[in-house]
Amino acid sequence: MEIGMLPISASKRGKLLAAGYTTLHSIATTSITHLATDIEVSESEALEILNFATRNSALERSSGSNTNVIQGGQTAWDMLNEERFSSSITTSCADLDNILGGGINCKEVTEIGGVPGIGKTQIGIQLAVNVQIPLDYGGLGGKAIYIDTEGSFMVERVLQIAEACIEDMSEYSHHFHKDNQAYGVKMHPNSILENIFYFRVCSYTEQIALVNYLDKFVTEHKDVKIIIIDSVTFHFRQDFEDMALRTRLLGEMSLKLMKLAKNFSLAVVMLNQVTTKHVEGSFQLTLALGDSWSHSCTNRIILYWNGDERHAYIDKSPSLKSASAPYSVTSRGIRNSTSSSKRIKMV
Amino acid sequence: MAPLNSLEKEYPLIDSNFQIFCASHAIYSVEDFLLHDIDALFTSATNCSSSQKLNQGIHQLLSIIDALHPPLLNGLQLVEDARQNKHVFSTGCQGIDALIGGGLRVGQLTELVGPSSSGKTQVCLMSASTVAKHNCSVIYLDTGNSFSPQRVAHFIGQSSDYVSGNQNVLDRIICYPVFDVYQMFDLLHQLKNNLRSKIGKSDRHVKLLIVDSISSLITPILRGSGPQGHTLMISAGFLLKQLAHEHNITVLVTNHVVGGDDGNSKPALGESWKSVPHVRLLLSRDCGGKVCNMSIIKHPAMASGRTATSVRLFV
Repeated sequence: MEIGMLPISASKRGKLLAAGYTTLHSIATTSITHLATDIEVSESEALEILNFATRNSALERSSGSNTNVIQGGQTAWDMLNEERFSSSITTSCADLDNILGGGINCKEVTEIGGVPGIGKTQIGIQLAVNVQIPLDYGGLGGKAIYIDTEGSFMVERVLQIAEACIEDMSEYSHHFHKDNQAYGVKMHPNSILENIFYFRVCSYTEQIALVNYLDKFVTEHKDVKIIIIDSVTFHFRQDFEDMALRTRLLGEMSLKLMKLAKNFSLAVVMLNQVTTKHVEGSFQLTLALGDSWSHSCTNRIILYWNGDERHAYIDKSPSLKSASAPYSVTSRGIRNSTSSSKRIKMV
Repeated sequence: MAPLNSLEKEYPLIDSNFQIFCASHAIYSVEDFLLHDIDALFTSATNCSSSQKLNQGIHQLLSIIDALHPPLLNGLQLVEDARQNKHVFSTGCQGIDALIGGGLRVGQLTELVGPSSSGKTQVCLMSASTVAKHNCSVIYLDTGNSFSPQRVAHFIGQSSDYVSGNQNVLDRIICYPVFDVYQMFDLLHQLKNNLRSKIGKSDRHVKLLIVDSISSLITPILRGSGPQGHTLMISAGFLLKQLAHEHNITVLVTNHVVGGDDGNSKPALGESWKSVPHVRLLLSRDCGGKVCNMSIIKHPAMASGRTATSVRLFV
């Protein structure tokens, strides 16, 4: 039944069916007053239903004259060319950037998960600072949105990482533009802090409301290039009585985040916690929120301990090879691991 | 099935007299007409005044209804149709082709089920590149921003007989980002109308339609308040199968797994979805390994439970 495909409420749908309107064509050929009296709704509501129906039948009528291509798509060739010019956000750790193909990509949703204390929030803060690196230094020159659900965002740490980043940038500019004094770095740590939009959410309804609102927010602040959610699972794990509702809400939220990433060309980074799963007689560590959530990201990186070292492993990606790389968390932020036996393992 | 009064403009036999007669039998739309006893209607029409006009009106309605259903085919016509139109497309991987009897068959809906990172998107990308190489168009509905043109270019470049002409092949694959089930329906309807009105054009037919993944579109609406989500899921399945059969396309969808009652994982989307795809394949990957396993859950021509020996997807 084609009526089922209109985005209208169930009661209106029932009224349409009871009055005999079972196809879009039948609605499209009546007038507003007829429709309003037949199904006993106000004229404005009837107009809305009529608009939905005529939009669909207008597509039917105009398809004969148009080209073969349906609106909204891109050929793979165009996407390939666009990809060459798209930039990625560096993580300040060269090994990690290498396995990621340059850094965290825009237009994709990346999920980063790991045990507590492995450095997820540190990576989140580092990315929020690195996205602001100006274009001259190979960055994106954009702003960041940081959604904090656990309260683990420490402003002093952000200041520390921002100062270290500016020091690195001025060292780079001295290195490459030794003779030109005008290339001094003009950024101040305070301006880096100003460009991070911080949201604190305390319940799952707030989180969903915020994700819905982000569309409007990013339209107003067009230079936002990364959204970091730390952590996306926190409010959904404790005492959620209705599991079916949780699956639905999470599915919808992930689709909205995907849409944001694609439409505004920004990177979405979700930080996740781990839980144990009973698989074939043994307990394994997997990311929280279950199997249906594991499909809601484009790439997944798992952080783990290898002896004394922190490692990152690419668990899921449509185009990157599975590999792992070591990194370390220093007072200046995320940096390369200084262990002598470090090398990138191709799995 | 419109209300009767909307047919009045095109078919003058169904005038207000006829409508009043029908209303006396509680018939307000063509659907009510179908549910009513036709013989009883004829007898009561002969008892009324102006019975000839009423009889003509009833015959007119019956002829309208006759024109709406698809033509009836016999077995011989179906075999001819299968021979001429319903070819088999290779997926690009010999192991998979051997498992499913040659490849993806036109007119069938194939479903790939598997846990995260088991290779579903890779199989989709590989099939897309193989079909595009054979001079046919591919439509890719992407719900998770996982369409990687880089990877597709890699698959195309692997085959030795295509050194240049990558652009032509890549131009045949069109990717649509879809984030909403209603958006998917819009797109599929547009595709259906485009295909219906373009019968006769021989170049660049769409031969492969991929929805990756259909489960992420349907999960947010399933089991909510009312059966609306369930209805949409089944109508999506029917629409895809109708597109596949009428316009000679092969359809590939991906689905994820959820935890079952006894701890084993089962495909998502529930019991009613089980009967919708023609072919269901289960993928799994050994932990951290490069080797993916594929087994048949359901196939019209192969025994279920058959597995493919190692299918190496990451070269």
